[in-house]
Amino acid sequence: MDNAVEKKLALSHFWVAFGAFALAAVMGLYQVIERSGFFGFLESREVYYASVSTHGVLMGFVLTTFFIMGFGYYVATSSLKLPVWNKTFAWTGFAVALLGVVLAALPLLGGAASVLYTFYPPMQGHPLLYIGATLLVVGSWFWCVSMIVMYMQWKKANPDQPVPLAMFATTANAILWLWTSAGVAIEVLFQLIPLALGWIDTIDPGLSRTLFAWTLHPIVYFWLIPTYTAFYCLVPKQAGGFLFSDEMARAAFIILVVFSLPIGFHHLYMDPGISHGWKILHAIGTFVVTLPTFITGFTVIASLEIAGRLNGGKGLFGWIASLPWSNPMVLAIILALLMLIFGGFGGLVNASYAMNAMVHNTAWVPGHFHLIFGGTTVIMYFGIAYYFWPVLSGKPLFSNAMAIKQLWTWFIGMSIMTTPWHILGLLGQPRRIDSVNYNNNLLTLSWEPYEAVMIFGGAILTYSAGLLIYNLYKTQISNESYQGEIEYAEPIHAVNDLPNYLNSFKIWNIVIAVFMLIAFGYPILQHFLMETFGSSRWGV
Amino acid sequence: MNQLSEEERKKILESSPVGTWTLLLMVGGGMVIAWLLMYYGMFLPRGHIS
Repeated sequence: MDNAVEKKLALSHFWVAFGAFALAAVMGLYQVIERSGFFGFLESREVYYASVSTHGVLMGFVLTTFFIMGFGYYVATSSLKLPVWNKTFAWTGFAVALLGVVLAALPLLGGAASVLYTFYPPMQGHPLLYIGATLLVVGSWFWCVSMIVMYMQWKKANPDQPVPLAMFATTANAILWLWTSAGVAIEVLFQLIPLALGWIDTIDPGLSRTLFAWTLHPIVYFWLIPTYTAFYCLVPKQAGGFLFSDEMARAAFIILVVFSLPIGFHHLYMDPGISHGWKILHAIGTFVVTLPTFITGFTVIASLEIAGRLNGGKGLFGWIASLPWSNPMVLAIILALLMLIFGGFGGLVNASYAMNAMVHNTAWVPGHFHLIFGGTTVIMYFGIAYYFWPVLSGKPLFSNAMAIKQLWTWFIGMSIMTTPWHILGLLGQPRRIDSVNYNNNLLTLSWEPYEAVMIFGGAILTYSAGLLIYNLYKTQISNESYQGEIEYAEPIHAVNDLPNYLNSFKIWNIVIAVFMLIAFGYPILQHFLMETFGSSRWGV
Repeated sequence: MNQLSEEERKKILESSPVGTWTLLLMVGGGMVIAWLLMYYGMFLPRGHIS
């Protein structure tokens, strides 16, 4: 099958994703230096918040969305062995999303939309931020439609056959994203844009936060599913083994999609607008969603153990040393899992209803978020990039040794940066502040050694980001040629027949609809049933 | 590397992943202990918000 257009489509998405990543990485280093107060000439509240807002949008929305779309298009075409459905439609989605990024970037870089990537009304940014963000999401919906249509095309042509696991996971992600993005889409369309354009004078922040909580947790799984797809479908083959269980992987993806949606109130534990009962309901759901993570941990580590033993590893843990550590994809998963252990523990603390009060709105939260997102999720994006770039560009990877060095430096840098960040949170340092000095009182002076260590970690991360971009760029401009295709892992036991609930999403969409109605129905409706008082806009 | 007989290969593919079970038990146990340490050693001693 000639899939040159699909390769170009995927690569275009990847370049936007990693271009955004490169810019955001530099901003991250500036932020960690600025807030420390060690370099007075750098201190600027305006520039800091413009930078933090742009960093968040670029990393959280642009890197992820474009990477996921590019990855999805190529997974669809290579696993189903079908051309991408309606390429004009796919390119239109790319153009709409890119236009959204450009429009949002204008006020962000100009300091007119410093409301952070979570918007936080009643703070108000320039209308172009919200219009741009909307277009980015609308562009991603084109991708969702493409994935679902291709999934249905394949099922129609292959009735009763199990959908290839990688495509099953990608379709699960497209469905998850449609459900997930609906919350923030309603908030932006009916609250933020009308407020920013002056069509309404006040906004109900409680309703905004409830709608954003609808999106805020499952978006993490939207980001994470490509990482899990690589865990299950790519890594076992790269490690020299097999997938331990195809059925367990499908079950994990289904539980992720179903239970990541109705649990967003764990972000609102301290919000007065939601009663304890709703918060506890969501807290229980939050602990349920740890189940697919444990299933994934078991299945992928078992797959690695099989690979290690097939490579000659002996004993209880001897197989670990027998894994091909010089393979970027394999190294990426090992480092990702290590960060998942510590990041996952931080998540358990966050999700604990009582103990959350100890870390709420402290530096612990961005420390946790960077470890689990910037660590576990994004390091796997790097592993995927190193594997996909030669296939997509038709050029061999410029340097495997540089890729390995980059992954190690990313892991080391992230560990060095996030450990003091967690500690600072436990010491009471608030998050989202442009300066941590507070006139040099004794408490804040005790934070300084941790700030210095964080700067060191941030510098290593920026260096690592540079290595990644340099390696990908040199690969892209190489004159050599490479012929290869993505290879998917086979399960130990071939899956020939699956119950419909492990091969279809119909029943699960109904379950999600019921769960969402239960979890968010009344909490949203209450804002229309009782008298509420809107807030005037803050900011611009 | 990969110089296994067919029998050895089959045995590996059919055996229980004991290393994985052990690792996960260690990680799971460690998380429970760490959570308890934080709850009883750090959170509760801080007392009520005053």
